[in-house]
Amino acid sequence: MAQAMRPQMMGARVSRTEDPRLLSGQARFLDDIQVPGMLEVAFVRSTHAAAKIVQMDLREVQQYPGVQAVLTYDDCPVQLWQREAYEVGQPVLAHHEVSYVGQPIAAIIADSRYVAEDAAELARVEYEDLPPVTDMRRAIEENPRRVHAHTPNVFFHKEYATPSVEQAFAQAPHHLRATFRTNRQTALSLEARGTAAMVDTATGRLTVYASTQSPHRLREDISGLLGIPTHQVRLIVPEVGGGFGMKANCYPEDIVVAKAALMCRKPVKWVSDRTESLLSDVHGRDDIHDVEVAFAEDGKIVALRDHLMADGGAYPAYPFSGAVGETSLASRVITGPYDIPHLATVIDCTYSNKMPLGAYRGVWGPVASFIQEGIVDRVARHLGMDPAQVRLRNIIQPHQFPYRNAAGMTYDEGSYQACLQQALELMDYEGFRKRQQELRQQERYVGLGISAFVEPTAMASSEAGSVGYESCTIQIDATGRVTAAFGLGPTGQGHETTMAQILADQLGVRFEDIIVLHGDTDSAPYGGGTGGSRSGPIGGGAALVAGRQMRERLVKYAASLLEAGEEDIELGDGKAWVAGVPERYISIRTIAETAYTNVTKIPEGLPIGLELTARYLPKSPRTFSNGTHIAIVEVDVSTGSVAVTGYGVVNDCGRLINPTIVEGQILGGVAQGIGAALLEALHYDESGQLVTTSLMDYLLPESTDMPRVMMRHLETPSDGEGGIKGMAEGSLIASPAAIANAVSDALAPFDAFVDTLPVTPEMILEMTRGELAR
Amino acid sequence: MAVEQRIGLTLWVNGKEHLLEASPRWSLADVLRHQIGLTGTHVGCEQGVCGACTVLLDGQPTRSCLMFAIQAQGHEITTVEGVTPTEGLSPLQQSFQSHHALQCGFCTPGILLTAEALLADNPTADEEEIRAALSGNLCRCTGYQFIVDAVLAAREQRRDA
Amino acid sequence: MKPAVFDYVRVNSLDEAIEALARYEGEAKVLAGGQSLVPLMNFRLSRPGVLVDINDLAEMAGVRDLGHALAIGSMTRHQQLVNNDFIRERLPILPRVASYIGHWAIRNRGTLGGSVAHADPAAELPALLTALQATIVMRSPRGERRLLAERFFLGYYSTRLDWDEIITEIEIPFPASSPGFYEVARRAGDFALVGALAERGTSGGFVTWFGLGGRPERMALPAWTAHEEERRQLLRELAGKLDLPSEEEYKRTIAVSVAGRAMADAEGGN
Repeated sequence: MAQAMRPQMMGARVSRTEDPRLLSGQARFLDDIQVPGMLEVAFVRSTHAAAKIVQMDLREVQQYPGVQAVLTYDDCPVQLWQREAYEVGQPVLAHHEVSYVGQPIAAIIADSRYVAEDAAELARVEYEDLPPVTDMRRAIEENPRRVHAHTPNVFFHKEYATPSVEQAFAQAPHHLRATFRTNRQTALSLEARGTAAMVDTATGRLTVYASTQSPHRLREDISGLLGIPTHQVRLIVPEVGGGFGMKANCYPEDIVVAKAALMCRKPVKWVSDRTESLLSDVHGRDDIHDVEVAFAEDGKIVALRDHLMADGGAYPAYPFSGAVGETSLASRVITGPYDIPHLATVIDCTYSNKMPLGAYRGVWGPVASFIQEGIVDRVARHLGMDPAQVRLRNIIQPHQFPYRNAAGMTYDEGSYQACLQQALELMDYEGFRKRQQELRQQERYVGLGISAFVEPTAMASSEAGSVGYESCTIQIDATGRVTAAFGLGPTGQGHETTMAQILADQLGVRFEDIIVLHGDTDSAPYGGGTGGSRSGPIGGGAALVAGRQMRERLVKYAASLLEAGEEDIELGDGKAWVAGVPERYISIRTIAETAYTNVTKIPEGLPIGLELTARYLPKSPRTFSNGTHIAIVEVDVSTGSVAVTGYGVVNDCGRLINPTIVEGQILGGVAQGIGAALLEALHYDESGQLVTTSLMDYLLPESTDMPRVMMRHLETPSDGEGGIKGMAEGSLIASPAAIANAVSDALAPFDAFVDTLPVTPEMILEMTRGELAR
Repeated sequence: MAVEQRIGLTLWVNGKEHLLEASPRWSLADVLRHQIGLTGTHVGCEQGVCGACTVLLDGQPTRSCLMFAIQAQGHEITTVEGVTPTEGLSPLQQSFQSHHALQCGFCTPGILLTAEALLADNPTADEEEIRAALSGNLCRCTGYQFIVDAVLAAREQRRDA
Repeated sequence: MKPAVFDYVRVNSLDEAIEALARYEGEAKVLAGGQSLVPLMNFRLSRPGVLVDINDLAEMAGVRDLGHALAIGSMTRHQQLVNNDFIRERLPILPRVASYIGHWAIRNRGTLGGSVAHADPAAELPALLTALQATIVMRSPRGERRLLAERFFLGYYSTRLDWDEIITEIEIPFPASSPGFYEVARRAGDFALVGALAERGTSGGFVTWFGLGGRPERMALPAWTAHEEERRQLLRELAGKLDLPSEEEYKRTIAVSVAGRAMADAEGGN
């Protein structure tokens, strides 16, 4: 009967609806929005990590030809402050004091960005330096000082232990300790951030264009922080050139630009340049973990202790701190896909004089996987066992689902063991080991790294906020064409395609006859936006629920108009027909015409028209995707260079909506993982200066850094709508650990382990120096 | 200090002549985007690294962020709009769509132009040559694999045609 | 990230260019390929009052055979160095090294003279010119001046080029035997972490390192050996003489390996 039982579009490799406009250069990104009279913004940013602002002279700035306004804190006295969670908030423009390099101090509104930058150079800011807080461990001990005098540096502290963890440590025959360090990185979307604001000429409302993942939340933030009723703010998200979690925040610039448009009564636009982006897009991954593991002779890991530390930067990013996100979630999934019964964790998140930490794809995951997988390899090497065997011994078995991990998280069913086994097979594990031995004889060092991962997705609370549901509004117009709107905030994921695939099956209309809208708060129903791998499972779930409700309505129409029983109606290809009698059909178009123009024929109990909004809140607070990545590298121990020469992924994200799009997400995440493992790091010097402020210093992976990746899918459905699980973070959760382990494996003859990411040529030389001094 | 002046220029873009006034310091990218309205050329770093602003200057891939518009006089400039047919998509663009060679699409115009120039220059380019030619175009979403596949498929199609 | 205001002068001849530089008395800078200068201007780390654009000086691009050397015009683009059949035949090391510069789009625009004038210590061409003992030919109102590459490059982004001088041509003598080349970079197209050129002489030879310290260093090898361990030992002693800032100390080890590979490359006849 129901078309939904035998879907045609869901699971199909459909080409994306989004592509033609992007390929032809017609897509409209934020900087492509230009309206008459539009002014442009440049910010005066702090050049000091920690200082009092003694004096600020902006007279020359104001007098510079082409400058229309200059805003300081006094013009926009707003703080980005989640008062219920944190003791401090960031003033959108610095107020008497600066706390990190790049912090906005003043906004210059001018005729063009060129002029605004000229004027910004004329700002005279007199600083009185304070000792910069730049070292995480010292900062936790309040050294050299408190970043904010009235509150301790540690702004988040949490301890957790399973009841008999101490006993487990005491009884285990083997123990190892290790410290893991991940260096600061950032999402670096190719399109940097940007915001434009203007008064809507038709309604007088404040209209804000923003390159964001969270349209509704940003609208509320702007409305709440500037004291404008929410319905007086319209937020429109144009095409977004990548976000990766980084565009989920409300930033100081968003508020200042909106305020400037109101003050100047002119359209105002700010587009971040690349230096600003590296300085002021939220950073991620600034973590240290002191870890201890206890294990048995046979490789069974029994207990884990982890002191998780994160440098949250000068303020909690608004409205959530990435440091808290990275550590608290890591502490709950640090045992990964392994059955490790005992756990003790301590978390300390500290302030420092650096850019606030926010979300970057995977948030906690790449860090936790690096540690969890690094530990497994250390256990294996310590015992002289094969790392794959140690994994198979510890991995959660199929009969253990639903599995409650040592931190109390419940994993729904997955294919942990199967993915691991299939990945080993995919990469010819046994064959590789043989080859590795042979190459070592020739002093060539190749290594294989395994990374089995879990990925909590579709979480009720994530960087997308605490909106645990998603919404879908369907309108079928009088010609039978469908417009569906969502509260999502896609940044390249292809939601216009995947959501239409789901709806096409439900509504029995052609895929081409569905348009998916998002990102304009005037048309998009309230929703949480895109982040935390929620759009597929929750947004897709909303599409399924709304589609089903609309389908029921179409069936009622068809049954009534065809004089058949509802249970006998089938939908497909733009038509409804009586099962087994395809010539007794009515087109969806005719149904739609009836619903809008022939209202006397509307079946009893149905409203006029074909419009509805449905919301979907998954009954589980999250669903876990899983998989295994295997990387093969060759390390040149003479130069410290690493080449990634092979890569395989076996991935399980439940029911696939579009396998090609899933593969695209996997490939992109692997590339970012290669960056995370080998190339990308933001460095602050001791004075708190960010020294990596260009793409010549912050190195992204190029096409030549990527091996060809082999991919395979398994499908273990979730218990949510459609059996869909989220998936966009797993590939970056797993890949840095896979690369790190591969490098460690290659360097096994030197008894070396990677403990810091990214691992640089200098570190590799350090690890192999004994050999070379020979 | 120099005083900003506007100078009249003639730019030849996608086969059309454009007369405009520009300051010498305006980048070719900014002028294409904001004066001529060809916003398919994207600005990603303004330091010559990311490749998003790549256009063809006399058929050769060039960073439009590292060239002042005033310098582009007397040259033929091709942007992504110039390699897009009046209706539909070019074979290379179609190949990008069918191979899922783009996600957010911000880097895509620069990559398309580099790939067009490569296939014109070296119609038998293999995977290694394609990766080398595209190494100056950063993509943060796709991991490049499907881009390489799309270019390889377009190459095959050209060869057959 | 937009450049500061400047005046723009586009010249049609070398004389005009030299005159323009003189006229602006140090305020002006030559705009050649712009692939290093323009990023610096966009960062506002360089803010010339005047740009003298010499891109129309077609006479400054191209190759001449001097018999003992190639004379290459300073406005020859990197990609032309890579593609030029004559250079490929007569001086194959040059296109090979030039293919390591940046990426395709950068090579299409960047020029030989620009790279020499910019003098990035990790750039390939200054190193090659130092290794091959090329002569930099410059013109100014005072006439022509010629300097050997190793005299021309002074240190980090610093050369003997005067503010009123323009590099017109580089003369690269044909080496007795083709040098070997090897470089390590973080990614394709990046400036070298460490690179080396090795030339075999009659008894010993020379190693020219780049990416280490402030400028390419051409150092004499007392002996030439194909024996791996002996070669390492020789190079280790030689690399020990390099004056490196402390943060580059780790590169000394890489330098030894890279130079060893350049030597092996020289033996392989490329």
